[in-house]
Amino acid sequence: MPADTILIIGGGPAGLEAARLIGDLGRKVILVEKREQLGGTPVAESYAALTHGFRSAEEAMNEVIGAVRANPTVDVRLGSEVVACEGEAGNFRVRLAKSGNGAGEDLHAGAIVVATGFQHFDPGRETQVYGYYEYDDVITLADAEKMLKEQKFVIPSKGTAPERVCFIQCVGSRDRQIGNEYCSKVCCGISSKQAIEVRQQVPGAKVFIFYIDMRMYGYWENEIYWPAQEQYRVQYVKGIITEIIRKGGRLLVRGEDTTMGRPMEVPMDVVVLAVGMEPSSGTKEVARVLGLKQNKYHFIDVPHDSLDPTATSRPGIFVAGAAAGPKDLDDTMAMAGAAAMKATTLVARLARQAA
Amino acid sequence: MAVGLDKVKPEAITEERQLIVDGMDISGHWNRMFEQRVIWDYDTSQLDRVTDLPGGESLAWCYGCAKCTGVCPVDIVGDYSPRKIHRKTQMGIDLFESPDLWLCTTCRNCLRVCPKEVDMIQIMPAVREQAVLAGSVPAELQKAFEDTAKHGNPLGQPQRKRADWIKKAGAPVPVLKDVKRPVDLLWYVGSYPSYHPRGIDAAAAAARIFHALGVDYGILGIEEKDDGDSQRLAGEKGLFEMLAEANIAAFEKYTWNRMVVTGPHEFNAFKNEYPKLGFVRPIVHYTRLLVEYLDRLRPMLTKPLNLKVTFHDPCYLGRHNGEYDAPRQLLRAIPGVELVEMGRCRENGYCCGGGGGGMWLDSFTKAHTTMRLSERRVREAVEYGADVLAVCCPFEVSRFEDAAKSTGHDRLIVRDILELLDQALEGQP
Repeated sequence: MPADTILIIGGGPAGLEAARLIGDLGRKVILVEKREQLGGTPVAESYAALTHGFRSAEEAMNEVIGAVRANPTVDVRLGSEVVACEGEAGNFRVRLAKSGNGAGEDLHAGAIVVATGFQHFDPGRETQVYGYYEYDDVITLADAEKMLKEQKFVIPSKGTAPERVCFIQCVGSRDRQIGNEYCSKVCCGISSKQAIEVRQQVPGAKVFIFYIDMRMYGYWENEIYWPAQEQYRVQYVKGIITEIIRKGGRLLVRGEDTTMGRPMEVPMDVVVLAVGMEPSSGTKEVARVLGLKQNKYHFIDVPHDSLDPTATSRPGIFVAGAAAGPKDLDDTMAMAGAAAMKATTLVARLARQAA
Repeated sequence: MAVGLDKVKPEAITEERQLIVDGMDISGHWNRMFEQRVIWDYDTSQLDRVTDLPGGESLAWCYGCAKCTGVCPVDIVGDYSPRKIHRKTQMGIDLFESPDLWLCTTCRNCLRVCPKEVDMIQIMPAVREQAVLAGSVPAELQKAFEDTAKHGNPLGQPQRKRADWIKKAGAPVPVLKDVKRPVDLLWYVGSYPSYHPRGIDAAAAAARIFHALGVDYGILGIEEKDDGDSQRLAGEKGLFEMLAEANIAAFEKYTWNRMVVTGPHEFNAFKNEYPKLGFVRPIVHYTRLLVEYLDRLRPMLTKPLNLKVTFHDPCYLGRHNGEYDAPRQLLRAIPGVELVEMGRCRENGYCCGGGGGGMWLDSFTKAHTTMRLSERRVREAVEYGADVLAVCCPFEVSRFEDAAKSTGHDRLIVRDILELLDQALEGQP
């Protein structure tokens, strides 16, 4: 008899949404999360407002977490990892281990949804990019989120309000030398959102965004980009920064203003690096344990010719969210819904066939 | 009759002064006489011409991020960068005939930061080779090519005098054809250390240091020819191959374990380019060799120099071959030397302007930039308060000394690290 339980790996936005939906259908779900808390990256990395929509990330995530917690058919296992998996669709035998003490447990699942997400690009990886580990006042989008959430956007080295803030786009993305040739999709929007928040919290600060191309697809254009420019007077300059040097206690960003064709050397108090997405260590580990094909960048490979954006190389295992590649939250939640439906219908079909 | 701008004194072309040309008053309007030409097409044939060449392909990959412009040494003194080259070529401007073709020094700073790996180190030689074949080469570079072809060195000095410098060495310099036994090290001296007066100073210093350390080595003397790599990068691939063939034959005539090289360009040639022609042997730059000998060398460095020294990273030692530490280790070993770093150092080191044929394009480059790269660099050294600008590339001593004079910074001392070590050596006057 095929197993009717659906295993979801990862308790971030995608995993939570898939668990909520499958649970709402009255089916059994086991939600495995490596961390000791639910909520994934938005919670663990203290996101401020969500892009887009500007709703408090904590509030929005608590809603999804609450729905999962309230559902009796969803069994949440925190601090747990999948360490082995055999079998096939309808009959996966999975070994779970408690992080740290190694205590094991064997599960039986009919289908699996992988929702193990991404991690932010580390600007110190391989080559030191923009002196991130050298200058206190060079920070990443994730660092900025924490400050914005606490309503304390300051010059880290001084603790005072900045007069000049800039964002440098495409850090760790669209780069053949770094090996991440893809666009991380969300950084243009998140930088612009943060630029708005900086202007809201520190109205005296001048805010610049140095970019190669602004990729504000769909409604991000009118809901984020245009307000940032028109209402909040964020200055968009086409031309990326090559290097940051320290001069007179301030940071000097050097590059070229490409539409003017002129070199620039502009003083800044805080430089925010718009770091892109990479597969999380959990994504790479789970792909290995489950034997899923990964693409060139180690995200979980989706065979796009199947017209199924949640399929993986192994039948019965589905993927949702940024584990399959850079994704914003809208797409992540939509994909979680699709993966939940694929997993549920598969289990139902197998049960019908067996009956 | 039209009046060319060269006939109009620049001071006359101001808003204040009156300027009448052919009876027409153009005071204050001279720069507003032309409307911008509308772009009505993009002639992509010029870009195709470049990318069709083996090595030229990556010019088409540029997505205009402009990271290169921020670190291009030529852009700092002019209006030039790989992004701009891509854009101009895309607009239909002929790179083969443009002065831009000869401004790149192949310093590699653009490639270091390029997210698309647009490789000017391949593109420039490929396009220049075509320009050379078409006979479209700046005259001074053409002369260096001809001198190299005729005499085996770009200085135009007789081949038979290549080893004459050893008379000034102040220490015995073994020449391999006389030694008649295997040696540990083959020392490739190079053209500038063999002929240029300031190069000879460095070569003589090296000879004295090697002698003091008891290094077992020999030189090729008049059997040595220029390595040809800078000529290759300037577009003379045929000349490079000819020189390489002759050098490889000379290298293989003798028995030795390792080759020590005075210059970073030659080091790069033997380490990275000659292997493509079948010559694969261990190569070491003199700075790394002397670091190996440092335990023995350090106690001999007894005379304190009491100087504030800054070090100029040669592009072909640093960025091209990843050696940043050996020169600094040597400088720190000299008593009384205070090493100060310039803003542009190590991976982001500024270029002296001598690479990729720039050594023989001085007047040409000067005509197309606001100042020589060497002049820009000398100003930076002075800005950081250095007494001495230390170098370890034979192209650089003369370049920087000329630049120190032309910028009025005569007090800045330019020395090869070999000369500084030699000066600190016990028993030297």
